[in-house]
Amino acid sequence: MRTSYQRPQAAIAPTFRGAASALAATAALAMAALHLGGNAQAGQEAGSDAEPVRSQALFLTAKRLIVSPGNVLENASVLVEDGKITAVGTDLKAPEGAQAIQGEVICAAFMDPWSTAGFDTGSVNSRDLNAATMATDALDPYGEKAVLEELAASGVLLTRSQVGLASDISGFGAVLRTPSAEVVLEDASMSAAIGAESPGFSPDQFGGRGGPQGFSFGPQSIDPIDRIGQIDKLVSELAAGQKYAEDMAEYEKELAEWKAAIADKEKELEDDFKKAKKAREKAVKDAEEDGEEVKEKKYKEDRRPREPRYDAEKAAFARVVQGEVPMVVHAERALEIRDLLRSTEPFKRLRLVIAGGTSALACKKELRERGVTVIVAPSPANPGGPVGELDPGLSLAAELDAAGVNVLIGTGNASALASRDLPLLAALAVGHGLDRDTALRAITSGPAATFDVADQVGTVKRGHAADLLVLSGDPLSSSSRVLAAISGGAVVPQATK
Amino acid sequence: MSFTTSFQNTRSGRALLSAASRLSMGATVLGAAALFVAPVHASAQVAKTAIKAGKVITLNGEPIENGIIIIEGGRVTAVGSQEDVQIPWDAEVVDQPGMTAFPGFVESHVSRGIDRENETLDVAPFLNVRDSIDPVNFYFEDALRNGIVVMNVQQGNDTVVAGQGMVVKPYGMTVESMMVKPRAGIKMSAAPKRGKSRATQAQALRGAFEDLKRYLDEMVQRKKDGDDYDRREALYQGRELEGEAAKGKALQSEAWTIEGFERIPRGEVDEKQEPLLHVIEGKMPVFMWCGSAADVHTALRVADTNGFTKHMTLVLDNSCWKAAPKIKAAGVSVILEDNLAHRERDPITGEEIETFVPKVFHDAGVPFALSSSTDSNRSLWFQAAQCVAAGIPREAALAAATSVPASILGLSDRVGALKSGADGHVVLFSGDPLSVTSVVEHVILDGVHVYDRSKDVRVQQLTDGTRPPGTVAEEPEEYEGDGEDDSDNQ
Repeated sequence: MRTSYQRPQAAIAPTFRGAASALAATAALAMAALHLGGNAQAGQEAGSDAEPVRSQALFLTAKRLIVSPGNVLENASVLVEDGKITAVGTDLKAPEGAQAIQGEVICAAFMDPWSTAGFDTGSVNSRDLNAATMATDALDPYGEKAVLEELAASGVLLTRSQVGLASDISGFGAVLRTPSAEVVLEDASMSAAIGAESPGFSPDQFGGRGGPQGFSFGPQSIDPIDRIGQIDKLVSELAAGQKYAEDMAEYEKELAEWKAAIADKEKELEDDFKKAKKAREKAVKDAEEDGEEVKEKKYKEDRRPREPRYDAEKAAFARVVQGEVPMVVHAERALEIRDLLRSTEPFKRLRLVIAGGTSALACKKELRERGVTVIVAPSPANPGGPVGELDPGLSLAAELDAAGVNVLIGTGNASALASRDLPLLAALAVGHGLDRDTALRAITSGPAATFDVADQVGTVKRGHAADLLVLSGDPLSSSSRVLAAISGGAVVPQATK
Repeated sequence: MSFTTSFQNTRSGRALLSAASRLSMGATVLGAAALFVAPVHASAQVAKTAIKAGKVITLNGEPIENGIIIIEGGRVTAVGSQEDVQIPWDAEVVDQPGMTAFPGFVESHVSRGIDRENETLDVAPFLNVRDSIDPVNFYFEDALRNGIVVMNVQQGNDTVVAGQGMVVKPYGMTVESMMVKPRAGIKMSAAPKRGKSRATQAQALRGAFEDLKRYLDEMVQRKKDGDDYDRREALYQGRELEGEAAKGKALQSEAWTIEGFERIPRGEVDEKQEPLLHVIEGKMPVFMWCGSAADVHTALRVADTNGFTKHMTLVLDNSCWKAAPKIKAAGVSVILEDNLAHRERDPITGEEIETFVPKVFHDAGVPFALSSSTDSNRSLWFQAAQCVAAGIPREAALAAATSVPASILGLSDRVGALKSGADGHVVLFSGDPLSVTSVVEHVILDGVHVYDRSKDVRVQQLTDGTRPPGTVAEEPEEYEGDGEDDSDNQ
């Protein structure tokens, strides 16, 4: 029973001992084709299996090893064992039995900070979500394999995925290891959208992001008054979260005080018990003599403070206002971005991320001062962008970066397939003035840092999870190929054609 | 003292009188109804029945040629060949040398035979299908025709946490008389209910258990606070605290701990929360609907978190076969829908791929039960026959409609096989139960002969066109107008 289309097997080089010197990747590939035996055979068997095989060590070698954007080692190697990077350096030797893979360049896997990959379309397009919704509940391990293969083939092995692109507030997004739908961090972000429209509803000329599936998000089709209302609603949710957090802290404080007071009281009562008992015995005796009922002394104490009523949505926003979870808001227009910045001013610990941000240049100063990150989605399909006003087109990322704003590059499309174009979009941004290292950072270590997974992924460091690419050329060159994609320490067999 | 007693006597006497009058009224109603659904033989009072059949398929060892089944007091007391088994002198004998006796099929999950199912409330474990089962529903009648002897009636799939289901037999005037097992389990759904997405469905399902946990935690906290207060009050007043507080049982869950829960007498738990408490303590089985393979993951995750995986059976859409390895690893049983073949188109090549679902589960070693929940034309015997045609061994195919569902329902010692001690259900087929040319001729439930095809009025109408007396519709009278003059309207 065949369920999914299987690509031809990956061309993985067998162990080349002492071949760490400059062996062109193409040559390595040719040799792999000739010497299909030994480890390559093992790799092939592993490839036909659905579960990634992690036990085998990997030894990756390349002319350039991009540890992090701007930090390059020449003729260096990476050793991967048990899913982790265990060594990075220029003088490493391949251990016995390790599978060797060679290429021109090694870099961290690309991470799309604004994607829907991994989740079922019903949940992605749902409008019935709330702040307490977990996107990971919509994980679809049986989703279209072909899409995930396309993503892997373009080097996008990590995503910060969310559901409810059409929902005002859509709950917690997650960082996923896309090829295996493995969750790296389940509460990586809170997502909201200003002026979102359900996909397929607004015609394409309003221009969403024109993904390959033709889905689009036309912010135009929602009235400006409604958009202001959406901002108000979002801010009031944040305020409710703030209040909830304060009430909780207050309650905990009061409770501690009450407990201490009661403990003191209890001790006092215990100490006085003998006296009290004697007094009572006397009272009982007196009452009996008088033929009356014993009148007990009335006991009084402070009541236990009451816990604020649990509310899942407020609790979620409480985490957001306290800066535990960054909040991604899809907003395109200058007015909305400015309004959003102004009205979220009181929430000092809020970690705001603007997604889309076509007209973000109008507020570049505030964005820089507030430390707001912008996920730019350069769209070659719609010159002029979805808004039209103040739209710098493909140079947005460069201009924001020049203004000192932290820039990431993402795709933001209801179709998971859109994430495939991530490296090309980064390359386009370079073509329009963005610094090459900044562009690479915007799709590797930048998203990892923004969404709190920088200690696991995003850079090639010892101890990090092995989410790596071996490429035939520069990561941001459209003519570079993925020679091997390593996700969580396992070679993704479908990534290489 | 004597005054009180006599007063009570008067009261109970009056109650007796009114009960009697109600009874007589009830009897009239029952009598009228009995005309339509009366047993074929008025044998309800016969305590012993002997069934002689040309062949007895016991599903408990080899079939017996010329076998005898003795049913006493509603239970099978002996099964064997005519040489081995003695027929009691006072037994009513059903002698059918040309027929095949069979233990009857077991329907593991069905949402028919009920008047209307709750699909409004998301979480309603306190409801019970007992209140919506309709004893004269056509489904039960048809079940007899297809040789089904017990069925697990559960609410529909469009829910988050539905009410409790019930195992019944397809014969009886009241729900009580049909009852086999009153609390057969709770229906839940991991697939999105109308208006929900997968994410929010899972959120609601998890939320139901989180709410229960918070409720129990708060209850324990209140109790603890109350006890502590009582102690301080007694200290203050110089009293020794008297009497032992009422005690409950500690929580029995495998996944949850609620410290101090033994302080709560079980009777204090809200009856609306109690059924889910039984679920997490493993006292209440769960039937979890999964509409797609991904839902299986949701179901297993929720069950694992709340410790009821062992007591859960998955009710599957046919697309769920893709999750068979996951289901095998979790060790749960499954109930399949009656459309046994799953078809899909390859998104790239456009090729249509057909999968025979029971074969996938059979090959994976997952215990599976068949169900005929939507269509009487695809009843259990037909599906079991399809399984045999698709290469599943006959024993396994029969088990999927008998012993597997019986074990899912916790009724292995009662139904699914003809053996001593089992419920007195026997179905007499005209030939092999899995043959399309065989029909159900007789059904005996709890030793009572409840179905005889030769007297089945619907079958008669189908085969020779005779309609039962009094059911032929009369020609409608001609409409003569309502007596109003049309000109009034002008």
